[in-house]
Amino acid sequence: MNPRLSSISRSVGFAVVLLIILLAVNLILSPARFQPGSWGALVGLAAPLIGAAIASTPVILAGRGGIDISVGPLMGFVNAVVIQVLFLKAGISSPLLLVPAALLIGALVGAANGFLATVVRIQPIVATLGTYLILTGITLTILPAPIGPAPAWLKALAGPWSLLPLLLMFIGWGLVRRTPYYDQLMAVGSDDRAAYTAGVDVTRVRLIAYVMAGILGGCAGLMLTALIGSADPNIGPTYTLIAIAAVALGGVSLAGGRGGVAGAAVGAVDIFLLQSVLTTFNVSTFVLQIAYGAILVLAVMLTALQERLAMRAR
Amino acid sequence: MAGRNLFATTNARVVGAFCVAALLQLAGTILIPGYSAPFAVRAMLVLASLLAVASIGQTLVVIMGGIDLSIPFVIGFANVVAAQLYGDGWNFFLVCALVGVLALVIGGLNGLISRSLDIQPLIVTLGIGMIVQGLVLLWTAGFPSGSAPPVVSGFVSIGGSAGPLPVPWLVPSLVVLAAFVVLVLERTPYGRRLYALGSNPGAAPLALIDPVRMWMVTYAASAFFAAVAGVLLLGFTGSAYGDVGQPYLFQTIAAVVVGGAALVGGRGSYLGTIAGVLVLTEINTLLIGLGFQPSAVQAALGLIIVLLVSLYGRERHVSTTI
Repeated sequence: MNPRLSSISRSVGFAVVLLIILLAVNLILSPARFQPGSWGALVGLAAPLIGAAIASTPVILAGRGGIDISVGPLMGFVNAVVIQVLFLKAGISSPLLLVPAALLIGALVGAANGFLATVVRIQPIVATLGTYLILTGITLTILPAPIGPAPAWLKALAGPWSLLPLLLMFIGWGLVRRTPYYDQLMAVGSDDRAAYTAGVDVTRVRLIAYVMAGILGGCAGLMLTALIGSADPNIGPTYTLIAIAAVALGGVSLAGGRGGVAGAAVGAVDIFLLQSVLTTFNVSTFVLQIAYGAILVLAVMLTALQERLAMRAR
Repeated sequence: MAGRNLFATTNARVVGAFCVAALLQLAGTILIPGYSAPFAVRAMLVLASLLAVASIGQTLVVIMGGIDLSIPFVIGFANVVAAQLYGDGWNFFLVCALVGVLALVIGGLNGLISRSLDIQPLIVTLGIGMIVQGLVLLWTAGFPSGSAPPVVSGFVSIGGSAGPLPVPWLVPSLVVLAAFVVLVLERTPYGRRLYALGSNPGAAPLALIDPVRMWMVTYAASAFFAAVAGVLLLGFTGSAYGDVGQPYLFQTIAAVVVGGAALVGGRGSYLGTIAGVLVLTEINTLLIGLGFQPSAVQAALGLIIVLLVSLYGRERHVSTTI
């Protein structure tokens, strides 16, 4: 196996094994829910979480405590603006306007995060906590209560068609990987001081990572809108911590420089399947939460142990 | 380096944060009638003291280079368990001892798992916190009962007085506790080890600092103080509520950072956290006093945190770290 592939499989390996196990458990426990005919609907349910996890990745890859906890509120903000302001109030329903608008909002929020975290140099978790609070506050102000509906084309993106935005996100990231920027990003994430002495513009590289996170977050916001088919001010922020957990589960090092969006997506699918398994047991939501927390901790522990063994084997 | 940036040192950041708190108090006094009335100041001191207790652990953990997201869950756990057991007729001091020991175990587990396996404490403390909250919900079936013992209610009551002082015992007790925490950080081997481990996790073991032990002790302390805050909140609100700690998730982090600590570790002080706590309490009270909706208060809080930290909490550019 070539070294690049083997390094990917080592970091993502555990998440993939977990994915296969969880898929098997799901198929055995609830064959009706997981029959081929309903796979489309399942993908639709998982899509916003996968999108949120992908959006959380670039900033974490950029290293030095880089983290964007405003991804969830950004999704909620895009959801509220697209439905309440643009669709219901201004009467714009064309995807040719709404999609660029959502991505533009994402890019602007990402640029603001990036400016605060890299140019002003506020610690990323505090800078994005600030945007988290601002976005949540504005979302609740323009949309105090859930409202609907969403444009028909957007609702149609739920179910099997939710693969389309996911695919576009992967293609977008694939294109980024082919540019020299990607190598600079990973270099900055691994060791920013070494990258700086090698002539990399560390500030610019990190700023772009935040903008990418914003654009991907805007896309995830559209996916959330497609899934719920309406606008709801309270759902977006709940994605933040789960998305970061998915990223960590998918073998992306929170210290930066290691991992990729494929791992993050696998981690998100793991979490979705885990929720699904726990739901089929039909236990109380309290037990669900205990099991959920326990498996999250166990999963990161096993990932760490497996990495340690892999290090020893070399 | 210090000449270039006025707020480069931690001490200057702490002074800066205290100045901001004083300016906010001044602004409130000018803008809102009755802002500096004795009752209003008392209420603010009590709210600030509660946040200050909850932030002790976050300060220690952040100096060490970690982060503790389990604080709100442990606060809720202590709040509900203490009320429930006291309602069942247990002796209250026995209840406190039990809650304290359980919190130490939870925190120790956080530190052990994070450090010994080298996992991001963000995920571990979140997971452990969710388990704790789930267990509490399961035990109470989602409907916690019980009430606060009069001792605790009197201790934190806004109208209470501590001897000649017109504030409840909570406030002078916090001053003593704060002095103790500052002393431990500045003058004990534990404090030195904490800063050493936070500054350079790689070099600290070579100076015979046992990282796993330090992480266990510090996270245990963090959970313990979160539990103390949970019991105090029980006295403040009067009845048990599992989500009572949720606002403290981001507030403890914000207080620590506004007070000049760095989340990468090695820098920070409890005095700074106190300043951060005062700033946050002032902002909250001021905005609510000006008649903002809760959602607008939240947005403004975010904006002000970012503005303040950009004034005096800026990180160094990578070029100055080489």
